[in-house]
Amino acid sequence: MPMVRFSGVSKFFGELVAVSDVSFDVDEGVTALLGPNGAGKSTILRLLCGQARPSKGKLWVLGQDPRADPLVARQIGVAPQQETLFEVITALEFVRLAARLHGLDDPTGRAEAAIREVDLDLGDSRVVGTYSKGMRQRVKLAQAIVHDPPVIVLDEPLTGLDPRQRLHMIELFHRLGAQGRCVIVSSHVLEEVERFGSRVIVVSKGRMAAEGDFREIRVLMDDRPHEIRLRADDPRRLAVGLLERSLVGSVTLEDGSVVVETDDVRAFSRAVAPLAVDLDVELQELVPLNDDLESVFRYLVGER
Amino acid sequence: MTATTGRTPTLGAAVEIAGLVLRSLVTRGRLIALGGLGLLVAGLGATARAADDQVDAATDLIAGLGLSVVAPVATLVVASAALGDLRDDKTLVYLWLRPISRLSIALGAVMASLAVALPLVVVPIFVSAVLSGVGDLLAASLLAATMAVVAYTGLFVAVGMRLSRPFLWGLVYILAWEGFIALAGDGTARISIRSYTWSILARATGTDLRLADRSAAASVLVPTLILVAGTALTTWWLNHREID
Repeated sequence: MPMVRFSGVSKFFGELVAVSDVSFDVDEGVTALLGPNGAGKSTILRLLCGQARPSKGKLWVLGQDPRADPLVARQIGVAPQQETLFEVITALEFVRLAARLHGLDDPTGRAEAAIREVDLDLGDSRVVGTYSKGMRQRVKLAQAIVHDPPVIVLDEPLTGLDPRQRLHMIELFHRLGAQGRCVIVSSHVLEEVERFGSRVIVVSKGRMAAEGDFREIRVLMDDRPHEIRLRADDPRRLAVGLLERSLVGSVTLEDGSVVVETDDVRAFSRAVAPLAVDLDVELQELVPLNDDLESVFRYLVGER
Repeated sequence: MTATTGRTPTLGAAVEIAGLVLRSLVTRGRLIALGGLGLLVAGLGATARAADDQVDAATDLIAGLGLSVVAPVATLVVASAALGDLRDDKTLVYLWLRPISRLSIALGAVMASLAVALPLVVVPIFVSAVLSGVGDLLAASLLAATMAVVAYTGLFVAVGMRLSRPFLWGLVYILAWEGFIALAGDGTARISIRSYTWSILARATGTDLRLADRSAAASVLVPTLILVAGTALTTWWLNHREID
């Protein structure tokens, strides 16, 4: 059995379907859980950690049901999404408390090692309540890895980090994954996920949208029809030129603009400016209409 | 990688959690507000000396203000926040996700609440009894205040775990149930904490307090059982409810 297995898992909150019939296997290495805000990523991670029970389906972490057996918690390290921590204690006290509750020998030594690992200052005597968002993220990560767990679950762990810290964290994720741990990292930022690793699970509106190697999913995302609005001083001539050269699938004239649909956005981008010059048309604006992440996910789940 | 099994001992984990909750509960605002309430009841104890019937006046003051207002309200403020605050700000998950028994979380919250509420309630009520000059009230006020905090802690830690806006619900309970419905008759009084704590005072001073005719054993046993039941209920909810 893989380290984490979801089999037909659904989660309902009354009428609301938060997660619908999700199935996947995750093993060692870094796996990104990608989806827009509200897609169900946090609910999937809560199910994985046993914080919520599935309404339908079954799931296993290291062959155990995390909801039924609290001892599975010993094998999981979790950094939840919420920013709030125990505000009245220091980072070291926070992580040491986690170490003690896990029953570790030398909790202070283990806490210090975890804090060093996330690049926090061990000598900082301030309480966590005074910490910035980025520092809080690192405290959350330190308490998640202090007990050396084989499964690590991180919900949007890069939010609030500066570029240097992001790089450091991503390196740490890879190092943990390379040690044979199952590291699951959620994110709603496509570019972020690109750097996590090759394996991605995409969710949208509670459903699995895609799963597999990131490069394949990226191609799928790039190959979808793109809608682009072009503003020009002679939109009609531009529209005819685009159709004549087969650069677009469809063209619509709208309020002095041309709205086009193309399957190959890169080829279109390369060709449109020279075409405008050839046609002696002044190209004033070029706006992608469905390039936001929501649109990408909607495409992947077939709701164009 | 860690591959150990087993569970951190319940009492050890409870002590760790109590230390954390204690530090969260002790805020300047809470100490000033509840300390002020305590000072009021302590200071008013001296006014009983001027009354025609010193014993009745002192007993009425401690029962009516100390055990009916200071004890439930101060304990509500502290105990409902013990897990309620952690649940509201979603930090409860940092305890819940550890390989510890849920009982240790409930016990930690109860221990921290008792550690904060007992001095805030028992000391001013005892000082009030001392200042009133009624010797019979000293031990009785100490015991009654302790039993009040014990019972309300069990009740309000559970309320804090289960309900959003636990302070509001606790106030409704204190005002509507303890202050009104429970006074309707002997049947309802039996399920009122006040009836048991008042009985300790009435028995010690011979004062006639309304519906305060519980036995000495019941006055100690029932508040203790409420604490045990509240802790058990909190543990059960921690085991069965979904955690954010």
